[in-house]
Amino acid sequence: MTNRLQVAAQSLRLSGLVALRHWTIFRRDFFANVSPTLVDPFLYVLVFGTWLGTQVQSFGPRSYLEFMAPGIAAMTALFTAFFEGSYGFYVRLEYEHVFKALMTTPVGPREILMGELIWLGSKGAIMATFVSVVLVLLGVAKPQGLVLVPLMGLLIGVSCGSVGLLACTYVKNINQFQSIYAWIISPMFFVSGMFAPTASMPPLVQKLCWLSPFYHGVQIAQATLWSEHVLSAWLIHGGLLTLMSGLLTAWMWRRIYPRLYG
Amino acid sequence: MNPSHDETIVDIRGLGKTYGSAEVLSDVSFAIKAGECFGLLGPNGAGKSTIIKVIYGVVARSRGDLQVMGFDPQVDAMELRRHLGVVMQEDALDEAMTVRNNMMMFCRFHNLKGAEAAKRVDALLESMSLSVKAHARISALSGGMRRRLAFVRSLLSQPKLLILDEPTTGLDPAVRHALWDKIRELKRGGTTILLTTHYMDEAELLCDRLVVIDQGRVNIQGQPRHLIDELCPGYVAVFSQGTDLAAGAIRREYATLDAYTLELKRGAMAPHVLRPANLEDVFLKLTGRVLKEND
Repeated sequence: MTNRLQVAAQSLRLSGLVALRHWTIFRRDFFANVSPTLVDPFLYVLVFGTWLGTQVQSFGPRSYLEFMAPGIAAMTALFTAFFEGSYGFYVRLEYEHVFKALMTTPVGPREILMGELIWLGSKGAIMATFVSVVLVLLGVAKPQGLVLVPLMGLLIGVSCGSVGLLACTYVKNINQFQSIYAWIISPMFFVSGMFAPTASMPPLVQKLCWLSPFYHGVQIAQATLWSEHVLSAWLIHGGLLTLMSGLLTAWMWRRIYPRLYG
Repeated sequence: MNPSHDETIVDIRGLGKTYGSAEVLSDVSFAIKAGECFGLLGPNGAGKSTIIKVIYGVVARSRGDLQVMGFDPQVDAMELRRHLGVVMQEDALDEAMTVRNNMMMFCRFHNLKGAEAAKRVDALLESMSLSVKAHARISALSGGMRRRLAFVRSLLSQPKLLILDEPTTGLDPAVRHALWDKIRELKRGGTTILLTTHYMDEAELLCDRLVVIDQGRVNIQGQPRHLIDELCPGYVAVFSQGTDLAAGAIRREYATLDAYTLELKRGAMAPHVLRPANLEDVFLKLTGRVLKEND
């Protein structure tokens, strides 16, 4: 094994340990940490499955809850990753000085950022999978889709988590994340095609949707959990989401690296 | 086995650092020999912390050459930090975890596992009288305990070079003395120590040699006693201005006690304090200000 390979392997090991450190802290207060992520999907199912959903027209062969179900899984990954990437990272960076402490060990900025991405992707994947399993058990999603759900959660986690990490480099204080949420995440969420087909939206909005990673996340979630047009959805939307994840990660890396290594 | 004192652990030549158009370090040069305790002193904002961060590879230098234990921190930071220990100004402990788990977590980053990790953690906690708090959460610790924990955490890698960035700031005298004892013990064991502090008594007591940084440049370097003898030989008398101590103090230097006595016989006002000159007086002379925490 060459020296360069040894360094790469060591770097990957340390990145994994950074992610493991975040998991260790996360599980210390597990109930509080998972509550928002799991209660929201539960409320969506409750409201749209038993009450509001019956007042809304069905889309094609599906009930409204069945239509929304894949979006609920995708939404879980979105919010899990965005809040962890924004508030979570910011607190670790500015208040807890976690990264300063880690950088007194062999861990460097590269391992810190890789560790964050592993953590965001894993969290997105695990939460989306958990919610999808519940949706399958409720009979509103197809079980065969579960195979691809972790990958969907990972891609949404990395792309939307990177938006959160990027936000950390633009805000001047923790309060300003509210602006990012209001002006970027909320519009992305509401015009994703999760609540109604995007075909019913104004043409300009339909075009703008393609710039949103969450839109592509919802498209692959729907194809996967409805078991319809899975291959084409993954090729088009999965490909674009992968590309966006790469671009957002590169942009985030370029912005955050100097904050960690002056 | 103690390292050879001829071995150079840190070699800095012409170090410069700029942020945009602001030059924070300019042409800094000094060397630290193996096994010595080297002081890095200077007023707040002088550039001490930047130098330290460049040394352990978390800040990139703009100019100059730097070798730390044979590594260039800009190239081999990961390998370098295997042999380093750093106590930062912030304790940066994981509040949600226990004392012992904080240590065990850092063992992983130093590739320490299993029984070896547990043994080293227990020994280090014991050495700083923290064993009794091993299973307490960080939030239950006093400021002094947190500092002691941050200190022993830096020793997990059994470092050849230990960097201490204001390790005793804000601590009570008992904890300060405990840390001083530990630093001396490490030094006796051959660990090279780089220390920054605003406490001149601490620097005088612990440092074999030191460098004074002011406005990003090396002002002077040498052994504490030599610097005192050279720049402020004799005694210093401190007078208050009138009866209002808060209004500030006048300081006068006397080469000998006789010179002071003579002036007193001539009717000069008696000082509030008369003492041998120390490192703080050297700073007054060099930087024109008293080094205080809130300077």
